[in-house]
Amino acid sequence: MSSSTSGRVFHAVAGTVSFLWLLPIVAVLITAVRSFDDIAAHGLASTPQSFTFAGFGEAWTNGGARAMWNSVLVTVPTVFLSLALSSAAAYALSRFEIPGRRSIILLMLAGNLLPPQILLVPVSKLTELLGIYDTLVALIVVQVGFGLGFYTFVLQGFMRAMPNEVQEAATIDGAGPVQIFWRIVLPMTRPALAALAALAFTWIFNDLLWAITVLRSSSVMPVTPALLALQGQYVSNWNVIAAGSVIAAIPTVAVFLRFQRHFISGLAVGAVK
Amino acid sequence: MDRRHFLRVTAAAGAGLLVSGTASCATSASSGPVAQTAGTATIQSNLSAPAAKAAIEALVKAFNDRKGSQASVNTVASETFRTQLPSYLTSANPPDLFTWYPGSLLKGYEEKGLLLDVSDVWQTMGDYPQAFKTLSGRVFVPTTYYWWSFFYRRSNFQKWGVTPPKTWQEFVALCQTLQSKGVIPLGMGAGSDSPWTASSWFDYFNIRINGAPFHRELLAGKQRFDDPKVKAIFTPWREVLPYTDPNGTAIGFQEATTALLQGRTGMLLTGAFFADAAPKDALDDIDFFRFPIIDPKVPLAEEGPTDGFFASSKSPHVKELKEFLTYAASAEGQEVYIKNSSGTILPTHPNAKDSGTPLVQKGRAHLKEAAEITQFFNRDSSDALQPTADAALIKFLQQPDQLDTILADWQKAAQQVWSS
Repeated sequence: MSSSTSGRVFHAVAGTVSFLWLLPIVAVLITAVRSFDDIAAHGLASTPQSFTFAGFGEAWTNGGARAMWNSVLVTVPTVFLSLALSSAAAYALSRFEIPGRRSIILLMLAGNLLPPQILLVPVSKLTELLGIYDTLVALIVVQVGFGLGFYTFVLQGFMRAMPNEVQEAATIDGAGPVQIFWRIVLPMTRPALAALAALAFTWIFNDLLWAITVLRSSSVMPVTPALLALQGQYVSNWNVIAAGSVIAAIPTVAVFLRFQRHFISGLAVGAVK
Repeated sequence: MDRRHFLRVTAAAGAGLLVSGTASCATSASSGPVAQTAGTATIQSNLSAPAAKAAIEALVKAFNDRKGSQASVNTVASETFRTQLPSYLTSANPPDLFTWYPGSLLKGYEEKGLLLDVSDVWQTMGDYPQAFKTLSGRVFVPTTYYWWSFFYRRSNFQKWGVTPPKTWQEFVALCQTLQSKGVIPLGMGAGSDSPWTASSWFDYFNIRINGAPFHRELLAGKQRFDDPKVKAIFTPWREVLPYTDPNGTAIGFQEATTALLQGRTGMLLTGAFFADAAPKDALDDIDFFRFPIIDPKVPLAEEGPTDGFFASSKSPHVKELKEFLTYAASAEGQEVYIKNSSGTILPTHPNAKDSGTPLVQKGRAHLKEAAEITQFFNRDSSDALQPTADAALIKFLQQPDQLDTILADWQKAAQQVWSS
């Protein structure tokens, strides 16, 4: 009796919370399929009196398609490069007696504690000096540089927890450091890599600050500044902006769904088979 | 087996991405405006609203079709533009032209030597009224402007049996009538992301009671916000506060527009750009009247914010950009722009045709009758002073009895802006 009551209470509370959680998303989805005249005449909060996919078409053709492609061009190489570099760094820092490794890790972590806002002007000037200002290369370099510290910190923590016996066994079997990294450590780090890849993808894909700091042409802008550019100085077409947001959310949602399976299975199997 | 397969796939995919990544970056590097092609003037534009964006693109296309110098336009979000403008201007290789408005911000950049002297473009603009010349200085070329007034729906005024007021007494009487009919007389959209719209009320009370010269001096820091003359303008404002939408500091500008169109509010003090937020079928029903005269002795002033272009002094394309500015200042260029815009803006060239709708023609006459034109609070002062006005005016709308403290705080905040 009491357990079924508490069950009902739990469902009622959890249901309400999920409903509140999903409400903004539902609102965006509904706005995305309304027409501008409907919103202008009746307001954003009114019951929809139109149904159209025109907003999606407009968002896609009004710079959306190019911006999506730019985002992919930035995000995918950045995720790959940052994880490749930071896993190599983490391997060295966690499995070998490098002098001052503790300081190196702390230094990398300290870099992450700096608020990015104070670095905006120097970064913008630096990319100009290097001649890569307003190119996607600049954005990739900046994103890799800023992500590296955190990814290395997480990965070295994960790698340090691996049993020493595994490495020793591999050494006895004749494997060198590179082989151990490639064949033993990296595969065992898979759950952490998958989780970090999903996180990094979301962060980089959703970043706005660095994009508008090192880029200035609309032709190279990724999806977040492009979404911002759908807002007018005075008047915004909310249906187009909502549709654009829905389109922009698809890749991150897809990546999360895909990688979710990876890190859950990785965690369940554990490090030692 | 499984693990090895995973590794092979990741490695292959990674290598492929790396190649495609660098290849695509190389192409984007050559297409960006930093690698400027000789002879093309690049315009950095903040006109991100769809209608305005289409208009400037049409203007650039018409310019390029003349087969003279070439120009290209790069539109970024107006918010991004505003925050990045200093870094655009100080970068080693800035864009050649920028969309903007005249005002103290521009004067600051001019003093730092960042702006190009375009007085030879002004040689071709002999027809322009002196007011635009004074406003622009040597660095700015105005192309369009618009007006502020009380907008209303003609059909609603007919339904309620009321007519537009001329004097302050008529205006207050109109508010009373509308309230007795269950309509909120005065709309307001000073919440959300548009607290600055409350400044239009402040501007108008000040230019109606103290006149435009005092208003400019006040915003330039030569007068004080806690001056009794400034305090006096809040007396008529307080008189109409009971008729103002009580949600006015909660809802944004676009929602206030919707409230007006639906007839929940009677009228709205706003700029002509608000027509962009109206459905097309409502446009013919929209009319406006002048902010009522309070003191007939004060010369008539109206808000008529001006927009246009300025150029960077570092530009290597001086000939091309001046050719573009000359075209943008010509009647032909402005007609192209207006034809492709949403149509409620006015050309600065006195002989250029506007979109010809009754609303726009009335708007043009409305500004022509004014002895003085003010720009808007932030344009006549600075973007740094605007937040101090927002804070003070929103507080006044919510707690009108705190006026003395509000004005003292405002003066303190403004002094910090002026002295920095």
